[in-house]
Amino acid sequence: MSKENDVKFDRREFISRVSKAGISVAAAGTAAYLLYDGKGPGPSTGDKKLVTLPDFSVPRRDGQTISIVTGPDRVKTVNKAIELLGGIERFVRPGETVAIKPNIAFASPPMLGATANPELVAEVVRLCYRGGAKKVYVTDNPINDPASCFTLSGIGKAASEAGAEIIMPKDGLFKNTTLAGGRLIKNWPIFCGPFETVQRLIGISPVKDHHRAGASMAMKNWYGLLGGRRNIFHQDINTIIAELAILVRPTLVILDGTSVMMTNGPTGGSVSDLKQANTLIASCDMVAADSYGCGLLGRQVLDLPYLAKAEKAGAGTTNYETLKPKIATVS
Amino acid sequence: MKIVQTRRISQIFFFILFVWFCIVSTVGEKFQQIRGWPINWFLQLDPLAAIGTALTTHTLYRGLLWALATICLTIIFGRFFCGWVCPFGSLHHFTGYLGNRKKPAAQKIRLNKYRKAQCIKYIVLVFVLAMAAFPSIAVTLQTGLLDPLPLITRSFNLVLLPIFDIASAAERFYEGAWLILAIFLTAVLLNLVIPRFYCRFICPLGALFGVLGRFAIWRIGQNQSGCGHCKLCEKSCEGGCEPDGNIRISECVLCLNCRDDCEKEIISYQRQLSLAGEITGPDISRRGFVLSLAGGVFAVPAVRLSNKLGSNWYHKVIRPPGALAEEEFLSRCIKCGQCMRICPTNVIQPAGIDGGLENLWTPVLNNRIGSSGCQLNCTACGQVCPTSAIRPITLSEKLGIGEFAEAGPIRLGTAFVDRNRCLPWAMDKPCIVCQENCPVSPKAIYTQECFNTVRDGFLTVRKATDKRIETVETLVPGRFATGDYYCTNEGGERLKIVANTENLLELTKGEKFWKIPGEGGKIEVQVRLQRPFIDIEKCIGCGVCEHECPVIGKRAIRVFAEGETRSADRRLLLKS
Amino acid sequence: MASAGHRVKSPETVISVGLLVILFLIGAGIFVKQSDFDMGRFGIVTVPAGLPLQQAEAEEEEKPALSSLASEGFEPFSKTEFYKPENLYEKINGKAPFYIESGFEELSAQRFVNKNDQSLWMEVYVYNMGGVRNAFSVYSVQRRAEAEPFEPMRFAYKTSNALYFVHGKYYIELVGSAESEEMLKAIAEVARKIRAKLAVDYDTEIAELSLFPQENLVSDSMKLYLANAFGFEGLSNTFTARYRIADVTVTAFLSRRADSNEAEAVAESYRKFLIQNGAVRKNTSQKTMEGKVMDFYGTTEIVLSVGSFVAGVHEAENQEAAEKVAEILINKLNSANGNE
Repeated sequence: MSKENDVKFDRREFISRVSKAGISVAAAGTAAYLLYDGKGPGPSTGDKKLVTLPDFSVPRRDGQTISIVTGPDRVKTVNKAIELLGGIERFVRPGETVAIKPNIAFASPPMLGATANPELVAEVVRLCYRGGAKKVYVTDNPINDPASCFTLSGIGKAASEAGAEIIMPKDGLFKNTTLAGGRLIKNWPIFCGPFETVQRLIGISPVKDHHRAGASMAMKNWYGLLGGRRNIFHQDINTIIAELAILVRPTLVILDGTSVMMTNGPTGGSVSDLKQANTLIASCDMVAADSYGCGLLGRQVLDLPYLAKAEKAGAGTTNYETLKPKIATVS
Repeated sequence: MKIVQTRRISQIFFFILFVWFCIVSTVGEKFQQIRGWPINWFLQLDPLAAIGTALTTHTLYRGLLWALATICLTIIFGRFFCGWVCPFGSLHHFTGYLGNRKKPAAQKIRLNKYRKAQCIKYIVLVFVLAMAAFPSIAVTLQTGLLDPLPLITRSFNLVLLPIFDIASAAERFYEGAWLILAIFLTAVLLNLVIPRFYCRFICPLGALFGVLGRFAIWRIGQNQSGCGHCKLCEKSCEGGCEPDGNIRISECVLCLNCRDDCEKEIISYQRQLSLAGEITGPDISRRGFVLSLAGGVFAVPAVRLSNKLGSNWYHKVIRPPGALAEEEFLSRCIKCGQCMRICPTNVIQPAGIDGGLENLWTPVLNNRIGSSGCQLNCTACGQVCPTSAIRPITLSEKLGIGEFAEAGPIRLGTAFVDRNRCLPWAMDKPCIVCQENCPVSPKAIYTQECFNTVRDGFLTVRKATDKRIETVETLVPGRFATGDYYCTNEGGERLKIVANTENLLELTKGEKFWKIPGEGGKIEVQVRLQRPFIDIEKCIGCGVCEHECPVIGKRAIRVFAEGETRSADRRLLLKS
Repeated sequence: MASAGHRVKSPETVISVGLLVILFLIGAGIFVKQSDFDMGRFGIVTVPAGLPLQQAEAEEEEKPALSSLASEGFEPFSKTEFYKPENLYEKINGKAPFYIESGFEELSAQRFVNKNDQSLWMEVYVYNMGGVRNAFSVYSVQRRAEAEPFEPMRFAYKTSNALYFVHGKYYIELVGSAESEEMLKAIAEVARKIRAKLAVDYDTEIAELSLFPQENLVSDSMKLYLANAFGFEGLSNTFTARYRIADVTVTAFLSRRADSNEAEAVAESYRKFLIQNGAVRKNTSQKTMEGKVMDFYGTTEIVLSVGSFVAGVHEAENQEAAEKVAEILINKLNSANGNE
């Protein structure tokens, strides 16, 4: 078909073109080989990367697992409670980063006791810095609109003033996670972004009555880590709380029973819902903390099925007496 | 034998093959039914689908490997696919020929001039690939909108063939077909304005081939000097590439008409570049490229502002069984319409934009159309999906039996009874059509019996025996004889009515009231209703109930997408 | 578009032809591909009657490998067909309910044709009835009047073109296209091949057969009705056998119930049923049968219970013969009861 009589055949250009063509074909072939998928996608959306939370807990010390301090001033009681368990040095090493997860679920004023007390949060932040922490983050994934929750609960301001950095929930901070052996936390989005780079995790929550779960205390506090349409788990609330207790292994939980919401929890709404119990619990075992805390609500361990479930799953013990709690009073 | 003759034969061959594949896209074993016909072959050869899904999913799914052959042949030979294979291209070619053949040569040459607007197709290409390329921002596969192979497949499967089906017993219906037809007709009729209009100006696949064919070993060109610029070569030039002078190689579709028309035999398909010069690359500036790239990249999050993939998801988007979760689905569906064509019950329909712009022409179920909702024992749709947007599931997986017994059946959604429209709930009329037709076992619809006194059912007794009751009031003869009506006395006993005349109620044989009402006594006529309830743990959302419901306007039982198994976040219940 | 001056040179022709060959090969490849298919991928599809249906789930037990049963000079033609209860009617139409009510599980059917003579072919029907009693029931109830015993097989009979027999839980029909010796020989060979594969102890499976006294028994007249014997709902699981006494034919029946209470209850309700439908009690000289003998529109019915059996005589032509048969039946059952 080609008549090459008039002009010389440009060999160089031809060879250059042929080699480019050859390289393109090779590249296409290689890409096809590398990407080839003969099976196709599987049934669930389980292709996403699965993430688990690290274990933030400190080694056990006999007799220094749970402390119960009574007194009206949170700043004093929390300092005492942590001192009884070995002081902040046991929990925060110099140079470490700490994440604090208070209960900031509602855009509710601090005096109604539906959220963690801002002064308490601020004091814990300061404690961590005193212990040598490089950076302290305060974060939560609230039920109401996050910005208003952080603001109206007073925690945003208090924490920042104490030197903490606030982390608001964002899409990119959620990752699908599966709890090994979990029935409910299967490939579910978990708010784990803030916790992936820190070394310590502290939970702070008030003692509240809860209409569905019976009580909202240290263990229920981790419900905030659930993303997606998490209200579906209310259908099996006790199992989800127990699974959360396995998923999250914090350094320390602080259960604030200074002003206890006795009725109409978890939102409360009236000061009359509250009762001054003036008790603060610090614990390395959140099951034990809740087991003691339910007494402040006038309830028993048996009234809260999630306690037994969590204990059975190995998250802690409901028999806090065996941990030899340290008791003190601060006026 | 002339090569252009071979080209014509090739075009006819592939066009007929394509139409045949569309015709056989129906479940069955006969020769003219699907059997083993590889109806997806054209879509699998389509590199735009392969590259698009490779970008969005980082995999090359199975049959799409055929596209590698197309790509390699294009790299070596140039845009042969456009001129020799593409059925849409052949259609344009033929229409353009019909519309323009009577015109004088000078006019034809003018029509085949290269136009700057031919760069638009490259912009389209960059735009759709950009939409697919950056998962860290967001990706969606929209190549199917303008990709000619899904487009012509859609048009034939959902519009042209069904129009001709009207004569046969198997009438098919497709919602929104008018739009598909309008686009198809516009594209085809534009050939009367400029030949191969779509191919030159719009087709992103042609653009892709234009780019891939850069280094083609053989290309059209002038093999000697002496061209007299008679421009006869451009009289029938299909690509608008101007072989007289600097030929734009990326536009050349290898129709070889120029070679055939050149009286001096100067033009040939040759290994060396054209002696008259060549413009190899597409006519798109760097600015144009960057703009369309940016446009594509940011179009996706812009479109997704409607949150139709999040909490604002549209509950009427019920996808076929085996469909992936929504985001993954949208990164694979090329909107070819094969699943809609093969579905034996005609329930899969092309969606509109109610569920978001990305939803256009993706498959959704409309239980009011077709013969029966999603047939229980059918997995046809997944078998024909070329990109596995609908997975090729087995019957065991669909029904949740065998190794899938623990996972349970695939649910498309859940049925909801509209108690305001349901006959036994709102109208005191007995009906259990939905429960009867529910195909799962045990049934997902169960009924609870209830007796309601009918309107005008409060009656006074004139005289009563143990089998018949004469009433003071006048009754409509035969009204209560259907077997659904019961008569109760003041003591609360209830007996079935078997017949009635104007004044007489006849009760069922063999039974009688303990307390036979006396004269002046009060009785009530009650209707026995079986009111349907949905057992949402068993409902698979197949839609048979919605299809059979006798309230045929807005059905009294309707399926919505809550509870579909493909989406973890749309569950109604925690799995037990 | 053809240009006047263009001469076609041979390289062009060669390439053209080569490309046409490629097109042809593509077409051929597609044509080959279309015959290689598995309709099971599409789930259950509507199949025209007579074509094989793919099984959706694997069976745990082996299906009979029918194609290997071809007799000498015959070869299989058509694939083995399988039918389940939901599509059995596609093969045997109105007869399907009868099998389904009797416990039908699956039918495998296979045709064989004579290699030399296409007009000579047979079809083998293997009905898996789920149990020996079921198989025996459908076998015995459908027994043709012109049946001849097929020695030496038990529970087998032949007609002019076919062979029917029970084989374990299978009821087998071998139907030939012609009434010829050659056909019957080929059929017999197939039957023997089937029989050789499995040995079944019919005596324990169908124990009741031995309870019919041999005296005056018409051979191979025993039938098993799984339900609704004589049109009466309560008579399930009922065996019948015919007796001939001096040119009078009498049908005897028996049915094993759970215990003597149930037996008496069933007997009583059957008697009531007969009376409701017009039967009249008759006097009898037999003490044991007092009150149990009835006249039903000219024929004699005797219904009584012996231990845990309901037994008696049905549609007897005269009372004397009926009572005679009933007597020996009662005696046999009594001694059987004594042995239990």
